[in-house]
Amino acid sequence: MDNVTISKKDFLDFVEKKIQEGDSKVIGVVGKGSSYVFDRLESSSRLCLDYDVTILPPKKYFQPPREVLLRFITKKADSYITENANEPLTIIGIHYYDLAAISLMDRAFSEGNRDENYLKKRENSLLIGMYPTQAFKYRFAGSVVKGVQPYKAADLMLADMGDGNYTVEIVTEKGRAYLSSAVQKPFTYSLEELENAKKRIKDDQKIPVPIEMSPDFLVKNHGHPVWEVFGEKCYSCGSCVLVCPTCYCFDVLDEVDLDLKNGKRIRVWDGCMLENFATCAGGHNFRKTKAARFRHRIFRKGVNLPLKYNYYGCVGCGRCAHACTSSIAGPVKVLTYIQDNQ
Amino acid sequence: MAINTGVNETGSSSLFLPEVATLIDKREMTDVDSFFTFKLKNRPLGHRYGQFVELSIPGIGEAPFSISSPPTDDHTFEMVIRKVGQVTAAIHSLSPGDVVGIRGPFGTSFPMEDLKGSSLLFVTGGIGLVPARSAILYALNNRGAYKDITILFGCRDPGQRLFTDELAAWSTREDITFMETVDKCEDGTWDGHVGVITTLFPNLKAIDPTDTYAIIVGPPVMYKFVIMSLHDMEISDKRIIVSLERNMKCGVGKCGHCQINNLYVCQDGPVFYYDDIKLLKEAI
Repeated sequence: MDNVTISKKDFLDFVEKKIQEGDSKVIGVVGKGSSYVFDRLESSSRLCLDYDVTILPPKKYFQPPREVLLRFITKKADSYITENANEPLTIIGIHYYDLAAISLMDRAFSEGNRDENYLKKRENSLLIGMYPTQAFKYRFAGSVVKGVQPYKAADLMLADMGDGNYTVEIVTEKGRAYLSSAVQKPFTYSLEELENAKKRIKDDQKIPVPIEMSPDFLVKNHGHPVWEVFGEKCYSCGSCVLVCPTCYCFDVLDEVDLDLKNGKRIRVWDGCMLENFATCAGGHNFRKTKAARFRHRIFRKGVNLPLKYNYYGCVGCGRCAHACTSSIAGPVKVLTYIQDNQ
Repeated sequence: MAINTGVNETGSSSLFLPEVATLIDKREMTDVDSFFTFKLKNRPLGHRYGQFVELSIPGIGEAPFSISSPPTDDHTFEMVIRKVGQVTAAIHSLSPGDVVGIRGPFGTSFPMEDLKGSSLLFVTGGIGLVPARSAILYALNNRGAYKDITILFGCRDPGQRLFTDELAAWSTREDITFMETVDKCEDGTWDGHVGVITTLFPNLKAIDPTDTYAIIVGPPVMYKFVIMSLHDMEISDKRIIVSLERNMKCGVGKCGHCQINNLYVCQDGPVFYYDDIKLLKEAI
């Protein structure tokens, strides 16, 4: 992996040039009220890479909240046609833990049956990642995201060197080609300086159980009171799964247009914390209680995904803990409670 | 011995694009259940015993349904569909010649080939008879390949009985044992056994637990009690095969609705050896 240095000003000029060229839609982090979101950039001046966390992770570009899968003429089963909307996309400023989450999504949508609606959007995307430059009080990514996981999704990776320069790690050839028209300087920092820049922001939180031990720890505590205690406080609002960068469950629905003639089959975000997620025709709900749903979500992250894909389903972004109206969703809080109440 | 697994071929580039199937035949079975025969327009369905398809009507929606027939020479496939919601109500309103969307077949199947040479004990409850029937008919059509065949069927009340012609024919066959029960009958129209399905077990003639496979398909509440009865008969978990119901929304192992721990019932199931799932806390 090559490293180059680009001044912040030259990087912004480069982004501006890319926006004007219009070869791909350029997405970046922008301010929204007191928060940050990923949004389309019409000008590089809106780009704000000095951010704590975005409200939603960038998964919305690959698995949109509402995505058309098929179009049809109502009640004519021989009229189905597939739809797979995608366009070249560049996303700038994805924190490393969100990249780790995308690499998990890539696996989930390509393993077994290949989901081309997701995968085509990914193939058509170029991802520029970075390391956080602002603290976020719920973040514990440093204790759960290990090794090269973020680099499986990134094309380029930025590290703010604190002196007006970014170091850009060139992860893929696609990234190298994209960057070729940027004003680049040789990389003159030491590798230690680069590592320090990556770790400049220390996470406020840390997972209390080493991530490698979490499957055993959770399985052992399947019957722990925590699920009842925390489940009791859950409003089943689904905020925690909505903001989660590794949650990809969906529902499939038909929508009929106003002319009542044409329609579309869409998939929309769904989540296991919603009351009827596991309800079957006839009304039997396989996860009827809030405690069962609460446990399922945590087990999905800490036990089931590691078993299925050899990945942990949590990247420590802290969004769920932040979004939860009952202050119960954060894995750190759940695991700490279990540990404190053995 | 493993349940047949593998990635399902949907025959199209999109996982979600249905193929066209024509309704060939339709008849009422109960107040809420009707029997349907479909045929794909362009190819045989190629299903195995106990698999399911996603059936859709554009503008109404899509839902999973078990296939009730074994593979047939004329490539038709049968289903019994209970009217419980919008999609099933729309299916009930179809007439022969109408077309629907079909994706699949999906999921694992009853390993009927692997079970040859053994005795079979089918324990079916309510609409669970629908997927079980594909395996039962195969076994009956290949009667010589199996030792004893016992079929138990239970439903809520006599009005819920499915495939009544076939039940009548099974009850007169001398080369199989067939017993049925209803949970209750308050109008005096039933002179057979009354009680939940496990109350049939004491009436069974001796079963060799080392040479019998039990196949269980029924409502969620049934499994635990049936398995306890099978344990009383000393049938081992490796010889118990279950088909589990879940909300199999996408059929292709992505949407998450049918998850039991790390398993997706639409791909890893619905047919499982009980031995493989007995430690999964939410399975049964």
